[in-house]
Amino acid sequence: MEENLKTKDEGFINEIIGTIGGLGGEIRDTSKRLLKSGPKEIISGLLKATRDIITLDYFSRREQSGEIEIEQVKIDEFGFDTKFFDMMRGFYEFLYYKYFKTSIRGLNNVPMKGNYIFVSNHGGAFPLDGIMLKITLLNEHPAKRDIRFLIEDYIYHLPFAGVFMNRVGGVRACRENAERLLKKGIDIAVFPEGVQGISKLYRDRYKIQRFGRGGVIRLAIKNKTPVIPVAIVGAEETYPVLFKIKRFANIFGLPYIPVTYTFPALGPLGLLPMPSRWMIQFGEPMRFDKLKPEDAENSALVSSYNESLRNTIQVMINELLSLR
Amino acid sequence: MRVLRKKKRKIAITGAFGFIGSRLIPLLDSDDRYSKIVGIDIKSPPFTTKKLTYYNIDLTSPSVEGELSKILSKEKVDTVLHLAFLSNPISNIEWVHELESVGTYKLLNACSIVGIKRFLMWSTTMVYGAYPNNPNYLTEQHKKRGCPGFAFVQDKLEAEKSLLEFAARNPDFKYTILRTSTIVGPTADNIFTSIFLRGYVPVVMGYDPLMQFIHEVDVIDVFKLALDKDIEGEYNIAADGVLPISEIMRIGNIVPIPIPYFILKNTVSFLWNGQLIRFPSDFLNYIRYVWNVDNEKLRNQMGFIPKYDSLEAIKNFLGTRRLRKIGFAN
Repeated sequence: MEENLKTKDEGFINEIIGTIGGLGGEIRDTSKRLLKSGPKEIISGLLKATRDIITLDYFSRREQSGEIEIEQVKIDEFGFDTKFFDMMRGFYEFLYYKYFKTSIRGLNNVPMKGNYIFVSNHGGAFPLDGIMLKITLLNEHPAKRDIRFLIEDYIYHLPFAGVFMNRVGGVRACRENAERLLKKGIDIAVFPEGVQGISKLYRDRYKIQRFGRGGVIRLAIKNKTPVIPVAIVGAEETYPVLFKIKRFANIFGLPYIPVTYTFPALGPLGLLPMPSRWMIQFGEPMRFDKLKPEDAENSALVSSYNESLRNTIQVMINELLSLR
Repeated sequence: MRVLRKKKRKIAITGAFGFIGSRLIPLLDSDDRYSKIVGIDIKSPPFTTKKLTYYNIDLTSPSVEGELSKILSKEKVDTVLHLAFLSNPISNIEWVHELESVGTYKLLNACSIVGIKRFLMWSTTMVYGAYPNNPNYLTEQHKKRGCPGFAFVQDKLEAEKSLLEFAARNPDFKYTILRTSTIVGPTADNIFTSIFLRGYVPVVMGYDPLMQFIHEVDVIDVFKLALDKDIEGEYNIAADGVLPISEIMRIGNIVPIPIPYFILKNTVSFLWNGQLIRFPSDFLNYIRYVWNVDNEKLRNQMGFIPKYDSLEAIKNFLGTRRLRKIGFAN
């Protein structure tokens, strides 16, 4: 039975390994865009959001709440807070357009309709790539796709960080949450590199690390959701990790303490990212319509798909690096 | 099954005059399908109804198996509803262990002596445990990790485990576990409502998990429905929607006192060791991490749709709290 399965799949698997097409396309430079909000609004939004997260909006929003009618905060079932995101949005747009001067390539590979899983490389000690991907699809894509990005669960050990990531659209990475989001018709962004991705040293930048056990592919096959490979260049330079300290990390519930040029030397100021030039490329969707949901259990098939997805993203990264 | 339905049912309720029992008995009393209610409790009944027979039996006493089986066979009981669980933790954890964990085991033994085939049990969604790597919505299939160090949860988990083991040994034994999430409402009284009843509440700084509730009216309806329709299996009982703790504080005009986790943890465990507080520091996980459950099985398989969502339920509770404060309710 086992052997039979292997021979049947072999030709198929050989076909998958290698890269998927869809590289190239026009580069769209977005750094000339006018920001919707002025510097005053950006700073006040940022300060408000900081105060909200530190006091957990206990006090700030209290003043507005009347005795009888209380203004409803719009928090969805995964903790995404539209009001909070709007406060931060000005700052993120400033980072995206003016600070990182992001250019986008191959955005027309993202269809107008349907549900997709975006899979990307991961980089930078304090990753911004999830939020930047969200801004790209929200602002630049004509369909104004609103995505959620999946985040590692160690962040929920930390005070403030977990709440903050939840409020701006992060969801803990696990199969159940991903399936629930897809079922509701919400796109998700996945970073299969996980902690390995953001903890890689500066000298290893843009070399994709481990790519999980193919959980993304399994999810895509089961739900028949196409996967769009995304390459993000620039995130690695925002917080270049010089070395990692593992000694005291356990006290804070962290897997390691990253040391960058500015962090922890400058304290919280060290959390400001370096101005690197960002490029984001979207590849052609990988579709799994022909596969049956049972194929998600075929680990040989899954890992070959996973490998080809990793190759595709690596090729896209290399191409972007040569263009930069 | 049809025979069972036509025959009038005789039901025994342990912890009959606790929170759920005392509200459920009047409903069962007015229902023709139930001919007898056997109330088992150490509390004397606060009311009398025509179908109710009261027995003062302590589940922690050593000879309880014999006493229970005598009563169950004398009254020809066919269904047991096990509600003898505490909704508030107390410092006397040895007694609670005897009551909840050992008591359930003894009750099950009594059932097997008499040959009772139908058993319903109340539990709480706290048995899943609050962990940072929980998915946002736990389903019935998830592992019940409990909360080591918090006997209040561990005893309920052990009670569930002994029921599942018993059911595995007896294939024709039909069981139901109804796990309620935090019950709120005008008269609800549990660990969370007693926290939200204060004007000032210490909270863990930097954590704001999403909370889920169920209104007491819905809880009673679920128990009635599960009895009426002979529902089998495990069910998570929670309302739709979630809201962060900070939102509850805001609605209830509660002043939170944010304290860093390691300070709060040490303070709470100091107070717990001195028996000045009723819960250990492990409880703090429940206000740090998510432990919400998915109510899809309740909606689709049991066919119960909660009338209140989490926000309405908590508003109803906090509204009564306000009325009570200014003296309009007691």
